Amino acid sequence: MGMTITEKIMARSSGREKVVPGELVWTDIHSVMTMDFLGRQCFDKFRSLGKTEVFNKDKVICVSDHLVPPPNQRFANMLNEWREVVKQHDITNFYDLGRQGIAHQIMVEKGHVLPGTISIGTDSHANTYGAVGAVGNAIGVTDAAVAMATGKAWFRIPKSVKFNITGKWQPWVMAKDLSLHIMGMMHWNGHLLYKSLEFTGPAISSLSMAGRMTLCNMTVDLGAKNGIVAPDVVTERYLRNRTKDQWDFVTSDVDAEYDMVYDIDISDLAPTIAMPGKLDDTVTVDKLIGTKFNKAFVGTCTNGRLEDIATMAEIMKDKQVHRDVNMILVPASQTVYLEALQAGHLETLIKAGVAIDTPSCASCAGLHTGVAGDGDIVLSAGNRNMTGRMGSRNAQVFLTSPSVVAASSITGEITDPRTFDI
Amino acid sequence: MIKGTCWVADDYVMAYDIITSEHWTSAIDPDENSKIVMSGVKEEFKNEGAFKAKGFTFIVANHNFAGGGKSIEHVITGLMGAGIKAVFATSFARLQFRNAINYGLPFITSDDDMHLGCKTGDELEYDADQGIIRNITQGTTFTSVPVAPFVSQVAASGGLMNFVREKIAKGEPIE
Repeated sequence: MGMTITEKIMARSSGREKVVPGELVWTDIHSVMTMDFLGRQCFDKFRSLGKTEVFNKDKVICVSDHLVPPPNQRFANMLNEWREVVKQHDITNFYDLGRQGIAHQIMVEKGHVLPGTISIGTDSHANTYGAVGAVGNAIGVTDAAVAMATGKAWFRIPKSVKFNITGKWQPWVMAKDLSLHIMGMMHWNGHLLYKSLEFTGPAISSLSMAGRMTLCNMTVDLGAKNGIVAPDVVTERYLRNRTKDQWDFVTSDVDAEYDMVYDIDISDLAPTIAMPGKLDDTVTVDKLIGTKFNKAFVGTCTNGRLEDIATMAEIMKDKQVHRDVNMILVPASQTVYLEALQAGHLETLIKAGVAIDTPSCASCAGLHTGVAGDGDIVLSAGNRNMTGRMGSRNAQVFLTSPSVVAASSITGEITDPRTFDI
Repeated sequence: MIKGTCWVADDYVMAYDIITSEHWTSAIDPDENSKIVMSGVKEEFKNEGAFKAKGFTFIVANHNFAGGGKSIEHVITGLMGAGIKAVFATSFARLQFRNAINYGLPFITSDDDMHLGCKTGDELEYDADQGIIRNITQGTTFTSVPVAPFVSQVAASGGLMNFVREKIAKGEPIE
């Protein structure tokens, strides 16, 4: 019996020929990410293990994303403590305000995750790293401290589930719609809990790196351990100028064993929306046509990339954001911000009446930059819609793709981008 | 053997509601986190120290306890600070399941639907060695799914930090 890609990565990272689901192993970690609001506590815990030097100064990646730019004195003070501790440990890769981005975007964009290896981060959307064929896993401060000290983390080998995605992507339908479709199909009731999700098939081969990142990013919200796309020509092209590390095209064996296999044809996939409160309560856009909202948000580690911004710009060119809607765009990183600027997308969006803010997690973590107030109805291209996620516990958040947010923001009510006059 | 009263939770108790967002950026500290733990779950736990004041030792939950995808350890330290010694559920969200293992707080699954016959305030007894949960009030007994040896070792060390610290101090490999 062969192994799945995740099993192979776990096996080679733990120095074994073979691993089987259920087995508990300590693996080598390629890189460990921590960020501003938990990072100082990671380093404190790391030192309490009796170590002063991290396992590899190039492989502990520090990012300022949740608290920047500081909206209040408390955050400003936390950031100062954070900067001090990063400096003290002589960390090579520190993406602080000015060079910042959302940690998961930085990890992939700057080549800190590598196909065939394991990277971990102290934020739940570390599953994003699966987009380049790495095992990306979210962990707490304790695991990060242990990894900083030893270069290792413990894992139980997960069972794998295969999603074979076929068909042709239709205009204005995005990877986010597939994510939300799977969310609605699988629910939160435990089908995918602890599992490794592998995305494969022709519609994945034709999916951009940005789309793969969206898809893998949201696997954490399915309860899965990781989501992964095997490296291919898209991966190779993407990584060419981002890393000098050697990697190989690790793939699942043809006789690998899967707990479940699902076939999804995306040819008739419709733009999909998660209703406020629960991610798995999803509907297709036609069920909500005409629903009014007053805030629109595009950004986050799920949908703040160049492709997302380009889609918005294409839809919103020479149009105006509806007078009853406030719309904010927060690019996922400084690099994305610059590329969107150079491509002219930001000019298009500013002319349309979109407010653009500096890269950060922004209101997705409910911390700053456009948080929701009482009674607000938000149409968001972010990743979570639970009560209080974006601020007030009396606000409602609908989750959807950037194309739905863009088209709807012009009409002031939920609109199908496929029928919108673009 | 641990003995005490239990709180019976609903399905899908979210990590978000166990620790609400305004506290995510606070220090990871059992005393501090326990003051606000569960404040978003139920109106009766809203005020500072309300959950802790109930003096529960156990939580009995159903599906996906501590779900919603939040990796913050405040969830676990908050429960521990409030006096919780074990949580029994049909399933746990993986991020917090992992954190619980790292802190040595037993997150125990059972194939028996113990939440169905269990009422808040019932007195329970948990025998970790035998994997037996007795509901003394109701006179019922449940069996837990066995815990992996590694999980027991970490718990016996008082958490992953101690487990790894001991190994580093002795110069032992971590494998």
